[in-house]
Amino acid sequence: MADDKDVLRDVWFGRIPTCFTLNPDEATEREAEPYYLLLPRVSYLPLVTDKVKKHFLKVMKAEDVEMWFEYEGTPLKWHYPVGVLFDLHASNTVLPWSITVHFKSFPDQDLLHCPSNSVVEAHFMSSIKEADALKHKSQVINDMQKKDHKQLWMGLQNDKFDQFWAMNRKLMEYSTEEGGFRYIPFRIYQTSSDRPFIQKLFRPVSPEGSAHTLGDLLNEMYPDKKRYQVLIHGIEPLLETPLQWLSEHLSHPDNFLHICVVPAPTD
Amino acid sequence: MDPARRSTETWRSHILRQLKHRDLSQTSMFQDLIRFYTQLLEKTSLTKAVLSSSNRRDCADSSSSLSSLQEQTSWMKKSTGELAYQVVELQQKIQIKTCFLQDQQDSLQVEKRRLGGVSDACQTLQKQVDHFNLENRKLKEDYDSLLERQRWAESKLREQKVQEEEMLEKMLQLKNQAAARMNNRNERRSRARQATLQKDLQTAARSKVTIDSSSSAPSSRSTSPKPELHVSRGRGQTRLFRKRRGHSVSSLKEDLLYPVGFCVSARVPARSLQVLEAHEQGINAVRFSFSSDLLATGGTDRIVKLWELRAGSLTHRTTLDGSTEGITCIEFDPMGQKVLAASYDRSALLWRVDDSVPKVALTGHSRKVTAAKFTRVSNQVVTGSLDRTVRLWDLQRTACVQQVEVVSSCSDLVCSENIIISGHFDCKIRVWDSRLASCTQELPAQGRVTSLDLSSDRRQLLICCRDDCLQLVDLRRWSNERLCFRAEGFKCGSDSTRAVMSPDGCYLAAGSADGAVYIWNVSTGTLETRLPDKHSSSISAVSWSPSGEYVVSVDRSRRAILWSDI
Repeated sequence: MADDKDVLRDVWFGRIPTCFTLNPDEATEREAEPYYLLLPRVSYLPLVTDKVKKHFLKVMKAEDVEMWFEYEGTPLKWHYPVGVLFDLHASNTVLPWSITVHFKSFPDQDLLHCPSNSVVEAHFMSSIKEADALKHKSQVINDMQKKDHKQLWMGLQNDKFDQFWAMNRKLMEYSTEEGGFRYIPFRIYQTSSDRPFIQKLFRPVSPEGSAHTLGDLLNEMYPDKKRYQVLIHGIEPLLETPLQWLSEHLSHPDNFLHICVVPAPTD
Repeated sequence: MDPARRSTETWRSHILRQLKHRDLSQTSMFQDLIRFYTQLLEKTSLTKAVLSSSNRRDCADSSSSLSSLQEQTSWMKKSTGELAYQVVELQQKIQIKTCFLQDQQDSLQVEKRRLGGVSDACQTLQKQVDHFNLENRKLKEDYDSLLERQRWAESKLREQKVQEEEMLEKMLQLKNQAAARMNNRNERRSRARQATLQKDLQTAARSKVTIDSSSSAPSSRSTSPKPELHVSRGRGQTRLFRKRRGHSVSSLKEDLLYPVGFCVSARVPARSLQVLEAHEQGINAVRFSFSSDLLATGGTDRIVKLWELRAGSLTHRTTLDGSTEGITCIEFDPMGQKVLAASYDRSALLWRVDDSVPKVALTGHSRKVTAAKFTRVSNQVVTGSLDRTVRLWDLQRTACVQQVEVVSSCSDLVCSENIIISGHFDCKIRVWDSRLASCTQELPAQGRVTSLDLSSDRRQLLICCRDDCLQLVDLRRWSNERLCFRAEGFKCGSDSTRAVMSPDGCYLAAGSADGAVYIWNVSTGTLETRLPDKHSSSISAVSWSPSGEYVVSVDRSRRAILWSDI
């Protein structure tokens, strides 16, 4: 449907206004101006922060140092999509999102090193394969050729919606007799949790034949739901939204449905 | 399914709304701002970079260096532009120069070719020159040899001449000697004769007879008032006596040649029988032949026309031409076979009758011949001319045998036996002896003599003068008593008006300037008749036929009129 297409586009082209500021400790004789940037929600930090690095390296005059980001003391994991990071940490804060740029004292415990974009590519492709394993027992992804995989990655890297979705729609197909995917690939993120995320097998269609909804999923995973805000791509979908539809339309490019549960804002 | 659809629609639309709201709040607010911020950041960083680069050299010129740099760049651009323009110009010049060079080279080629041709021509000319020089040398050698020969020949000639002169001298000497011998002989002979003569004379002188006057008479008579030409003085000295020729009218055999047509009586013409436009121009002369059947007229149109007169009418017979100018006087010979005419062209012409080409032309006068007549001597013609000479001609030799110079121009001539009478402009009549060609008498006339006519017995001479008077002179007596005839209204028309006597000698006829013919009676001395109104201009000549029946008058306006009394 035309609305579903709009949904896909809006999801793809979602942006977050960010203000990158250099760590004041790391500033040299000259003061570095902050760098403002609109970050795409569906991409990853190393892919979109080249300009930031260039900007701050002018002041830093340091070569071959790995840049890492932190928000209010929390190092930001680069292998999470940007939108997920924002929704998780600063969904209800004042925009623009202020990220501090660090060049020194890389926190090895908290963050993984990301020397080049190929690392990001490998991570992305593995996510897609994992999602397809859940959805189609990896049949679709294995039928695709190497160039198709490359196309998926290039589409994401270069922000090409049509190029990406030309391939991605294959991954979103299902046989009608099934009524949906085999299992829904999802991850639920929580701020205060020892586990990074929750990922379990969950069928989209109940054994009776009714479609499971978001509420069903949450009930399953969260028996108690206190005052929480469920954010997907920065919005709170209604709980009765069918899961199959959500997985088809509101998934990230890595075909996972990243759900952020944050405490509701107390007014 | 409606509620389900409605429910799907609600959560779908909810999601859509949520997404839109999210974008609005999160993206669109910050989009432009971030863009502009980034641009500004870039500009400042650029400026900082420029400033930092100039700061390394000189801090003070930070602001001006930019403008100076800009000036430098603009100046460099200008200079590059100028240099490019110069390059273009220079390229053009180079092109022009190459074209020029090409032209020069082409012309050089042309010149080289021409030079080659010219040198070839020069060589051929040189060869020709050598050839000519060779020939010249040969010619010079020939010339030298010829010169040598010529000199040798000249020297030879000189020697010959010298020899010739010597021989001539010798011959002359011999001849002189012979002549001297001859002279001596002659001298001796003449001396002998003289001696005998002296002796005779002495003997005669001793007889004492008065023979002195008679001896001088012949010598006085021999001198004549007129000079004699063509008679050598040498002969005159030896001959002391000369035969005297008198005025005897001797009858010679020649007279028998002349038919004597005698007219018993002439008839006075009363009216005109025929009026003819005889010639193209004015008629000067008219003459009947001795046999009365031929009439000759001649005039300014240079021809003589012969007419036959039969039964009172004139018919044209022949035309005699040959004169180059007008005819003044015509005469028939006594036999009627020849026609003699005097002409303005200073000659007298002789035709045979019916032969239109003249047989003889007598030239010699220097002015117009006014009269030409046959003399009584056979084959002799006498002519008178305005050049003041009278000439005698021999027809057989067609040469002038005698020429007499007269004081005045002769206007007319008549011939009798042995005498020629001529009338002159100086109002004198001169009588000549035809055999001597000397003037024997000179008679005065009343005025300028225009014509003369002799009577048929040759005793009377009719003189027509310019002062309108006709005179009749007796030739035998030569007295000054003359009969003079005048008439009222009669005027001589010209210096050559002719008057005639009738064949029987009783009448005189003359044409007047008023166009009338006047006829006088000799015996009465008065005018017999006057025949007017036929001529339109002055009558130049009249002629009476020897038979006496007809008179013909001709005038200046080409008219010839035949008169008779019938």
